[in-house]
Amino acid sequence: MTLRPGDAGIAATGVRRSFAGVDAVRGMDVHAAPGEVTGLVGPNGAGKTTLLLVLATLLVPDGGSVRVAGHDPVTEPRAVRARMGWSPDVFGLYEGVTAREYLEFYAAAYGLDAARRRRRAAALLDQARLGEFADRPVGVLSRGQKQRLGLVRALVHEPAVLLLDEPASGLDPRSRVELRELLRELARAGTTVLVSSHVLSDLEELADRVVFVDAGRTVGDHRVAALPRGTAWRPWRIRSLDPAALLAVLDQAGVDHGEPGSGGVDVVLAGDEEAVDLLAMLVAARVPVAAFQPVGGSLEAAFLSLTDQAP
Amino acid sequence: MTPAGVATVARQELRLRVRRGRWRILVAVWFLVLLGLLALLRLALGSLGPLVAGQRGGIMYGGLQLMVLGLATLVVPALAAQSVNGDRERGVLATVQVTGLTAGDIAFGKFFAAWGAALLFVAATLPLVVWCVAEGGVDALAVFVVTLVMAALLGTVCALALALSALLARTTTSAVMSYLAVFTLTIGTLILFGLATAAAPQIEQTETFDDGEAFTFTEPDTSKTWVLLAPNPFVVLADAAPYRGDDVEFGLDPLGNIGRAVRFVRSPDAEPGFDENGERVGGDANPPPVWPTGLAVNLALAAGALAVTVRRLRTPTYRLAPGQRVA
Ligand SMILES: Nc1ncnc2c1ncn2[C@@H]1O[C@H](COP(=O)(O)OP(=O)(O)OP(=O)(O)O)[C@@H](O)[C@H]1O
Ligand SMILES: [Mg+2]
Repeated sequence: MTLRPGDAGIAATGVRRSFAGVDAVRGMDVHAAPGEVTGLVGPNGAGKTTLLLVLATLLVPDGGSVRVAGHDPVTEPRAVRARMGWSPDVFGLYEGVTAREYLEFYAAAYGLDAARRRRRAAALLDQARLGEFADRPVGVLSRGQKQRLGLVRALVHEPAVLLLDEPASGLDPRSRVELRELLRELARAGTTVLVSSHVLSDLEELADRVVFVDAGRTVGDHRVAALPRGTAWRPWRIRSLDPAALLAVLDQAGVDHGEPGSGGVDVVLAGDEEAVDLLAMLVAARVPVAAFQPVGGSLEAAFLSLTDQAP
Repeated sequence: MTPAGVATVARQELRLRVRRGRWRILVAVWFLVLLGLLALLRLALGSLGPLVAGQRGGIMYGGLQLMVLGLATLVVPALAAQSVNGDRERGVLATVQVTGLTAGDIAFGKFFAAWGAALLFVAATLPLVVWCVAEGGVDALAVFVVTLVMAALLGTVCALALALSALLARTTTSAVMSYLAVFTLTIGTLILFGLATAAAPQIEQTETFDDGEAFTFTEPDTSKTWVLLAPNPFVVLADAAPYRGDDVEFGLDPLGNIGRAVRFVRSPDAEPGFDENGERVGGDANPPPVWPTGLAVNLALAAGALAVTVRRLRTPTYRLAPGQRVA
């Protein structure tokens, strides 16, 4: 996937930024295409938020080339802002105003005319399932409701590029599913969506592509559909009706395992084939296996195997 | 920067302020305190009886305006001192900065909102002004000029507080610094003037007593140090009222007295002496005013403060205050 400057979407190459001696971002390449949801995945402190601030026209990078919706955020911030929506990881809301006034203020800030402001605010309140809270002060909304309101705020001006920093944190399962559907729908309509997260199970079903970052660098860039599923190191959990027999066989076979817990015993295996072999061995040894399943999604497995190659 | 953008920000700021609810109580307390002070002044003047007949309203008006300015130095800094860094702390500033609003829209919107709130406090004193007028002796031109100058001075205070809120990361620091800035203008200028005058060269003055004896003494030459006193808001406000240098007989009008005093500071020779018959001799009936200089300094400060605010709100930024995140 290559994007040239001038194309729509996001093209960030070799981005660097340090803060008072701390290298927050030291060479990130992140590309995101229109019509796709791209995940930005990395551990705490990897530099995801810093990169998004650069893309969101808030921070000048030390180096690298950046294009958002075809424009340079440093030299043409206004052009970028007109086409880009951004929702920060920690954000506040104007507590004193109602949800409707809140959205209408941002609509006005983006220069929408009065009629369109009202229409957008009403549509977004519906989208965030906040219709019944439209005329209540923002301050009384629950954390998840605030999160949803802050998220749709980034959509008031129908941006072509959407940057979301940890949008799923604080959302209940239903809201997560809705977020996923909303973003997929936006992508289908041609929006470029870049979502940072460290909740990998969310991204697994949401993203078309993921960019792995660690310690300020891009360490991987994959299509989710093409992630190495069968060959990666990953943890598996085995539950047996006879835990002692299970442990005995594992020890005998020299398989490293964790402490047995109520959910079963965790082992780390090198891929699907090793799992098949182990299961066959357990069955042959007449260990009553009740469950034998991978722990975490394949994205998590890929991420773990990318960040530390030999677990 | 566009009028629509400025208006969008100002409207939002005012809406948030109004919703917070405390302002009604504040304005009510403000009005009652001033009403009480003005009533006390009226009582005091009443005991002077015919001595002040005909100028009672003018004296009350002058006193009222000085009290309004004095109380405003306590109230107005709070209107803007947490405007920018408060929004940053709450995490709403960055989301506004990525909209179509420019740094100028945000800075001036916040400025006009704070200034408007300050003017609301001034407007709340209108019934008291009406009372003064009803007492008689209020100069319409004085009311007009003093009101304009008052608005300009409060605008300066708002601009200074706003700039400090944009410069400093913590809201408590910027609040304290705003009060410090205002005290520098009101009390600091007095102290500076006093110190500079003490160090100024002495000049000879001659005064003639009733019995015809001339008396020569020296006093510090304030013809240069007056500039330090000029930016003082009380000086600017008082001296801006129309000059009435000759009505000194029972000059109780506070604005006139301050104005005269600072003009004599600027032009020591303008102060008249008296001859053996008690007649005024020498002096200048219309010494050059002090307030244009003072007002110019204030307006320059305000303009500088607004420029700083716009600069600090401009994004994308390279520099961040230590320990500050954008979002
Ligand atoms: N304004 C700043 N001043 C100093 N250091 C900063 C600043 N902003 C970020 N950093 C540092 O840069 C690094 C990257 O921070 P960043 O917020 O981009 O991480 P992140 O990937 O978003 O992490 P998380 O998943 O926890 O949100 C961290 O080590 C952080 O301490
Ligand atoms: Mg982050």
